[in-house]
Amino acid sequence: MDLAKYAALFVSESREHLQSCNQLLLAWERDPQAQAPVDGLFRAVHSLKGMAATMGFTPLAELAHRAENLLDAVRAGRLAVKPEHFELLFRSVDELEDGVARATTGKGLRAEAASLVKALDAAVKKGAQGAQGAPGKGAQGAKGAKGAGDKGAEGARDERPSLDVKITVRSDAMLRGARALLALRKAEGLGEVSRVAPQASELEREDFDGRLAFRIRTSAAPSEVDAVVRSAGDIAGVAIDLASDEATVDAAALRQIRIDLTRLDALMKLAGELVVARNRLVELARASTDPELGQVGERISRLVGAVQAEVLEARLTPVREVFDRFPRVVRDLARDLGRQVRLEVEGGDIELDRAVLDEVADPLVHLVRNAIDHGIEPPGERLKAGKAAEGRLRLSASRERNSVAIRVADDGRGIDRAKILAKAKADGLVDAAAESLADDQLLRILSRSGFSTAAVISGVSGRGVGVDVVMTRIRQLGGAVELVTEAGQGTAFVLRVPLTLAIVRSLLVQVGAERYVVPLNYVSETIEFSATPITALGNREALVIREQPVPTVHLHQLLSIAGAVTSGRRPVLVVQVGERRSALVVDALLGQQEIVVEPFDAPRGMPGWFSGATILADGAPALILDAAALV
Amino acid sequence: MGHTVLVCDDAIFMRTMIADILTAAGYEVIGEAETGVQAVQKYRELKPDLVTMDIVMPDMGGIDAVREICKDDPDAKVLMCSAMGQQALVVEAIQAGAKDFVVKPFQPSRVLEAVQRVLG
Repeated sequence: MDLAKYAALFVSESREHLQSCNQLLLAWERDPQAQAPVDGLFRAVHSLKGMAATMGFTPLAELAHRAENLLDAVRAGRLAVKPEHFELLFRSVDELEDGVARATTGKGLRAEAASLVKALDAAVKKGAQGAQGAPGKGAQGAKGAKGAGDKGAEGARDERPSLDVKITVRSDAMLRGARALLALRKAEGLGEVSRVAPQASELEREDFDGRLAFRIRTSAAPSEVDAVVRSAGDIAGVAIDLASDEATVDAAALRQIRIDLTRLDALMKLAGELVVARNRLVELARASTDPELGQVGERISRLVGAVQAEVLEARLTPVREVFDRFPRVVRDLARDLGRQVRLEVEGGDIELDRAVLDEVADPLVHLVRNAIDHGIEPPGERLKAGKAAEGRLRLSASRERNSVAIRVADDGRGIDRAKILAKAKADGLVDAAAESLADDQLLRILSRSGFSTAAVISGVSGRGVGVDVVMTRIRQLGGAVELVTEAGQGTAFVLRVPLTLAIVRSLLVQVGAERYVVPLNYVSETIEFSATPITALGNREALVIREQPVPTVHLHQLLSIAGAVTSGRRPVLVVQVGERRSALVVDALLGQQEIVVEPFDAPRGMPGWFSGATILADGAPALILDAAALV
Repeated sequence: MGHTVLVCDDAIFMRTMIADILTAAGYEVIGEAETGVQAVQKYRELKPDLVTMDIVMPDMGGIDAVREICKDDPDAKVLMCSAMGQQALVVEAIQAGAKDFVVKPFQPSRVLEAVQRVLG
């Protein structure tokens, strides 16, 4: 058997298990008496061990085995769980995580793993001495927990017919998973049961949907099977079919397959190129007088649209994938920094393009670290300020039109405006006469790379805050960052990112001889210059739009373009990012186009008004204006 | 004479309530236990037709008690008494050999249905 082809599956599934291990450990640490997390951990580590051993990653399997021993001892009551056990298990999970990554590159575990194995063994041994005479009961649970589904494979020739049974537990029944298991147990009394779906572990979930399917090889008549299954009680329906073909793939397996992410990336890129080619075709068709070309063009246009939508759909990933790592990050950081932090997470189901989500993860870690390090005060300081000793950190996601807003909010001390202002004045970043800083000015100063925030915001950490890093990453995505902070009340950062990176609906504009692209996400409306009243906002020119002044940006001035239209009626794009707006004055609107964002490395010295580049339908390159930089 | 029952729960309140429901329906409660260890002892001693078993009890929980009882007597008829949200535990209890379960708060009719199912 060629194991290499299973490596990717091994890694992804192992990571899922280890992710859940972290969650379970946290839950267990909160409630050391709880049984469910221990069982869940035991199963997850057990599965990992089995997979690692199958793959031939012996050191990894060995470490998993030791961790499993410890868990088993606790499960069986041979060992009373102590704080140091949690620490050991957390470290084991880290080491296993690392080991999974290393194993596939042919490397063994790190040197620390050996000491960990020893520590795990010692902990189990210590427990065994403490509670002798309690025979090992724990292992039975593990055996019992194994699915009943494997039996059917044995027994070479069996003439009994196979039946496919689907049961539904009544929707008003309590503990439907347990009820379904009872029905399964009853059926097992009649013959050999196999292909149980979902797996036994799914039945333990509170959101189990009440549907269970299995195959049974039995001499009992279908009516008898029906009666026996119903005798479990609370069964709403039973459907029994003669198994049509032993080779039938079970329905659950058909519904989902795993795809290597790089394949989806390649598919997305191809879909993007298809869009560009489609745009070109549509342009040619428009210029041609052949009606058939027009029709074909339109049809292809629709099909490409559908392909693009499907690929995007396949790439959407719930933000939970990233959010899930924060309980652990927050716990560790809070411990290290001597803070008490309660993490609240909301909107984990909101979906984003996988590529966007991957890009957002690091900035989020930065912000969460900042919130704990610089935002949330040590318990003593909080109590003195009349706050609860435990700080609150909220991580939430919500959908806004074509973008997703991710918020990181703490109830800590807030950013010290006066200190930042003083520092900014000293650095010559703001007018010496300025008396205060609005939130957006504050953000702009904080996000200047090299602005020495660490010394200013807190003396606690020597590390830079890295707001500039966050800002850069989010901007590259065509997103925007917003900051709200209040002294003593806390700080909130909002990251607005587009749903997907690859294909962006955009408006093509002309200034002089140049063409630029503005993502439609951020265009709230288009109006006409010189048909709109002009006013002044501070010392800037502004347009009055529905009685609100909106500052203007004349693109030809901003970008120093000669030969632009400077008088008469011109189109204006009202660009909005969060609450901030500005009115972009251009020469002409050239229409909408779907563009594929190309990676973009701005040459040194280039003004920061662009977030990327693209190839237009006619094959010419164009720069993408960064809406967030313009408001 | 009706079937005999052993009632296991660490709360007198729950034991009394279950006993009342069963007695009123003609079953005979021949023993009570308030820990898992007691439950196993009394089962060996009394050989009841049915056991009602709380999941969370001191001194060996209900699940381990079921495991012990079923080791001696695989046909033992044990009915688990669980609370909402204990799905995983009930699943474990069934894997350990429990034959059915009821969920607190108890409705007498549901308890009797389950008892009848178990006693078949």
